[in-house]
Amino acid sequence: MELTRELYWNVGHAVLMPMYLLVIASFGVMIWGLRKRLTTYRLGQPLERCDQRGERLLGVLRDVFLQARVLRVKGAGTAHGLFFFSFVLLTIGTTLVFIQADLLDPLFGIRFLTGNFYLFFSIVLDLAGLVALIMLLGLAVRRYLLRPKDLPNTSDNALMLVLLLTILLTGFLLEGARMAATEMGTDLSWWSPVGLLFAQPFAGMTEAGQRAIHTGLWWFHFALVLGFFCAIPFTRLRHLLLTPTNIFFRDLGPVGKLRTLDLEDEEAESFGAAKVTDLTWKDIFDGDACTYCKRCQDRCPAWNTDKPLSPMKLVNQINEVSFADPETSLIETITTDVLWSCTTCRACEEICPAAIEHVPKIIDMRRNLVLMEGEFPGEEVTKAMEGTEINGNPLGMAPAARADWAEGLDVADLSKGEKAEILYFVGCYASFDRRNQKIAQSFIKLCSAAGVKVGILGKDEKCCGEPMRKLGNEYLYQMLATENIEQIKATGVQKIVSACPHCFNTLAKDYVDLGLELPVEHANSFLAELLNSGKLKLESAGLDCTYHDSCYLGRHNDLYDAPRQLLKAAGASVREMEKSREESFCCSAGGGRILAEENLGERMNQTRARMAAETGAPTLISSCPFCISMFEDGIKGANLDEQLKPLDLLEILAERIEA
Amino acid sequence: MNILVCIKQVPDMESRFKIAASGTWFEESDLAWRINEYDEFAVEQAVQLKEQLGDSDLTVLTIGPARVKEALKKSLAMGCDRALHVVDDAAHEKDPFQIASTIAAFAKEKSFDVIFTGMQSQDRGSGQVGVLVGELLNIPALTTAVEFACEDGAVTVRRELEGGLKAVVKAQTPALVTCQLGLNTPRYPTLPNIMKAKKKELLEVPVNDLLNEESRLTALSLTYPEKKGSALILEGEISDLVDKVIGILKEKTAVLAK
Amino acid sequence: MKALLVGEYREGKLLESTYELIGFAKQLNAEFDLFMVGSKDQLPQVDAKLYLADVTTVGEYNPSLHKQLILEAADKAGADTIVFLHSSSGWDLAPRVALALNAAQVSEVVEVTADGYLLPACNAKLRRTVKSATAKTVVTLQGGAFMAADPGGAPQVEELSSSADGNTEFGGYEQAEAGEVDLGKAEIIVSAGRGVGKPENVEMIQALAKALGGEYGASRPVVDAGWVPHDRQVGTTGQVVSPKLYVACGISGAIQHLAGMKKSEFILAINTDKDAPINEVADVLVVADIKQFAPALTAKLEG
Repeated sequence: MELTRELYWNVGHAVLMPMYLLVIASFGVMIWGLRKRLTTYRLGQPLERCDQRGERLLGVLRDVFLQARVLRVKGAGTAHGLFFFSFVLLTIGTTLVFIQADLLDPLFGIRFLTGNFYLFFSIVLDLAGLVALIMLLGLAVRRYLLRPKDLPNTSDNALMLVLLLTILLTGFLLEGARMAATEMGTDLSWWSPVGLLFAQPFAGMTEAGQRAIHTGLWWFHFALVLGFFCAIPFTRLRHLLLTPTNIFFRDLGPVGKLRTLDLEDEEAESFGAAKVTDLTWKDIFDGDACTYCKRCQDRCPAWNTDKPLSPMKLVNQINEVSFADPETSLIETITTDVLWSCTTCRACEEICPAAIEHVPKIIDMRRNLVLMEGEFPGEEVTKAMEGTEINGNPLGMAPAARADWAEGLDVADLSKGEKAEILYFVGCYASFDRRNQKIAQSFIKLCSAAGVKVGILGKDEKCCGEPMRKLGNEYLYQMLATENIEQIKATGVQKIVSACPHCFNTLAKDYVDLGLELPVEHANSFLAELLNSGKLKLESAGLDCTYHDSCYLGRHNDLYDAPRQLLKAAGASVREMEKSREESFCCSAGGGRILAEENLGERMNQTRARMAAETGAPTLISSCPFCISMFEDGIKGANLDEQLKPLDLLEILAERIEA
Repeated sequence: MNILVCIKQVPDMESRFKIAASGTWFEESDLAWRINEYDEFAVEQAVQLKEQLGDSDLTVLTIGPARVKEALKKSLAMGCDRALHVVDDAAHEKDPFQIASTIAAFAKEKSFDVIFTGMQSQDRGSGQVGVLVGELLNIPALTTAVEFACEDGAVTVRRELEGGLKAVVKAQTPALVTCQLGLNTPRYPTLPNIMKAKKKELLEVPVNDLLNEESRLTALSLTYPEKKGSALILEGEISDLVDKVIGILKEKTAVLAK
Repeated sequence: MKALLVGEYREGKLLESTYELIGFAKQLNAEFDLFMVGSKDQLPQVDAKLYLADVTTVGEYNPSLHKQLILEAADKAGADTIVFLHSSSGWDLAPRVALALNAAQVSEVVEVTADGYLLPACNAKLRRTVKSATAKTVVTLQGGAFMAADPGGAPQVEELSSSADGNTEFGGYEQAEAGEVDLGKAEIIVSAGRGVGKPENVEMIQALAKALGGEYGASRPVVDAGWVPHDRQVGTTGQVVSPKLYVACGISGAIQHLAGMKKSEFILAINTDKDAPINEVADVLVVADIKQFAPALTAKLEG
């Protein structure tokens, strides 16, 4: 017996013509639907996202075909991944049938779905169908019975599940009817075990009956598939095409770098985004590519401390407004409370399987509020902005006192004409806040111990502008950045180091657009290198601690290992929090929120302090003056001051310099 | 309506002051400069009045060296229509009477309907200039306003008195109002307004064109108060500490005197 | 020196601050007369000549008219120095009188030195000494800078009157709304920090504030913990304050708190930690447990 099956059994080759016409028609509907959506994407502002195509395609391969990002979340992610792989196998199988039956066989008489390959083909597709079915059922149980908290549910979800389930089921029934008539009792049937199971109900029927049911099922199944194609642009099934496309168009970095506005643009009537049409086309496209998986929301520190911001909802609102009424006020739709709640921690973007960029949208809307309306989250922020304009720091301290912390330390004050190769960019908190000055002093002690002389800008250093920029004040940011760059260039330093992740990220990535081209490093990696090269010698002394990954060090710069290596060298044993590394939970100070009162929901710094306390470690270590400031308050506010003490990594290291 | 607002640029009070070689004023290097806080309220109120009335012209005036242009630019960005810079490199040597005379000499020609000034400056705090300008122009001067309204050619202000008490006073225009902290919330200039401000009129007049009065006050010296520095640390028995603290409060503060 | 002291009277009452003017004159051993707009029923107790304008005819607020009356009194008294308090009334009237007399005005005097007057400058970070270059001088005194004279004696009253109109219209007084907390304007603030230990202990701080005649406030962690309402938070993310006396109770001094209160004229800190950052801005640091110190101080103040 030949190991194959008759393609188009029962329905016959006569269906080919109507079948292809209908398929073409359904594709027509799909393309028409997608093109209609395209006009909405085109409402957005231009943005270059077609460069580095190789890299882009590689990402699509990794995140779509290997489901790399989807699989990062166990459960639903795993189910989606397995369903996806099965669905791909089924699609490949159907395509093979098409190639043989409609191309190779009629034209060249070539049949490859025979013999052992057919057996392999048969069992793989059969099992793929089964896996797909089980995963879909699992996902349906999750959505409708387990009902995860705050998972948005619309008729689209039901439609997609029912449609896909019916396609799979009718596929198996179809196979069953055919097998009942042609394969029952043969060895071949064992290579389609699931099909064989579905053949049982048809076993007792006459062949005519089997054939009649088969014909009916075939057309029904086919109609469902046509419906599936047609439904893509009009339901969330569109993510099948749009999410991979969005991954292709993703931001290739540097991670978290914001678009620099041309503020001198005489033509510009408005700055920032008030309407969707002020956003880029990619921002609008993002809205359509969202799969509503709510991973961003699950991770968002604002959402998790009862603030009104859900990154998913924000993207969905942009999507709704884009298609319903693009001229309406986006800011009013989203509300300012939502926009000001973001700490720009990137937890949302880092986990998004669709490569959606949430933060730049929020910043663009904040820019509109600040630059066009002069609006801030509160009067305290307006005061901090004014203080920065006057004094060059948001704390309103005297610029002349900026280098007071360095008195008596071996550091070159470049503002006084002293020289150094490496610039230590101190930042406002380490310069003025007595608590945080210890971090700056520790850094200098460590450098001195390693025989490295660094310089500071002294009274000429200004705030790097990060909090201002993240709060939307691009004008003040550019003013500060330009002045800093001018000062830095004048000193002739070759390299910059900062112990503040916010300064570091800003100088390394954002200042490039304004003309700073020096290498910038964070103190952690700088010191790790000194340690590895043997220049820095630390004494190991036991320390029981937990480590908080600062958002701007971790998710923005992937610096997870350097601090842990340094801690290890210092003899510390780290009890990791459940939310560590990529999963880290913001201290509340990012996104310029350090300047703002936290009026909504629970205190984020207290929430994080409790997470740290849960590890049982008595010391909470971070590598960021903002985090340390927040934890100093958060630990007291959460009544944990008896059991937990916040320290900067540099303070730990400085205590352990080998004598 | 023709409106004038008079402002002063002062060092930020957080600045580290160094006494200049002259011994009568401070060195200007390393200072951060700002619009006198009280004057910011004045500018805001003037802009609000202009917005309320529509057809108005708002001039902002200041006296000082080149650096004061920054203060004028910010006022223009907040909404003033034109600026006058009375150039005087030795403005810090002028007494309140001379400053007021300079302003009055300019204002006399212009027939302003409402003039706003801060209630006092943060650096000198004499609280005289506004009232003197009003008197020199022979128009009513309403001081220490924490609320302001202008209707039918009359201005009504709530004056802040001691102990939370307020007095309602009214005068026909032309009138002068001195502004107290809390009168309003000074706006943060928007970017388009900052850009527009760059194109607005900013005239310069040498101070000697307006001023021909002699100083009525002689500055003798500028000194640091007794060193504040780090705190006086008190340790010991609670009851002793309480007595010591009460003694200190009586001696160093006015709060227990009453 | 022949001084004319301009006393204050408001809402039908002689203001106690008038005795500070007398204290000033006595401290300088200056010959002095008094002037006030007031009532015969509310005369200052002092043996001196008093030029009195009846408040029922000239009103409590009428600067141009009051100026004329003061000028008349100054003329009659032959005064070369006209002395006001640096108050809402004093800083309103003094410049008008000074201009009319072609006199220099010296504002907010805290001390009279051998060669001139000492005044605060730049938020009391500096002090200026100035002297008048005119024959007559108008002076305003900083409240509390001169010890009030003890009441005693009776003035010889000479009534002044005028029927002239002013160019302003007085529309009455308005009291501050009850319950409204504006720490920014409080003269005395007692703030609670984490050192108070638990929510119940905030009462100690309230009691101390009351005993001192001030308002109570709190640092951010105390407000965050919900022990004190948010409108009483002192700091850059709450209210920025500059009272005459700030008492920091168990506050170590986070940067945002320091930036919000360090402009206070006098800062008393109570803390168990001698090295707390609050030390940098405090005038006096009491090393003690606030839970013991606050009740003891309150008791002493009340007793």
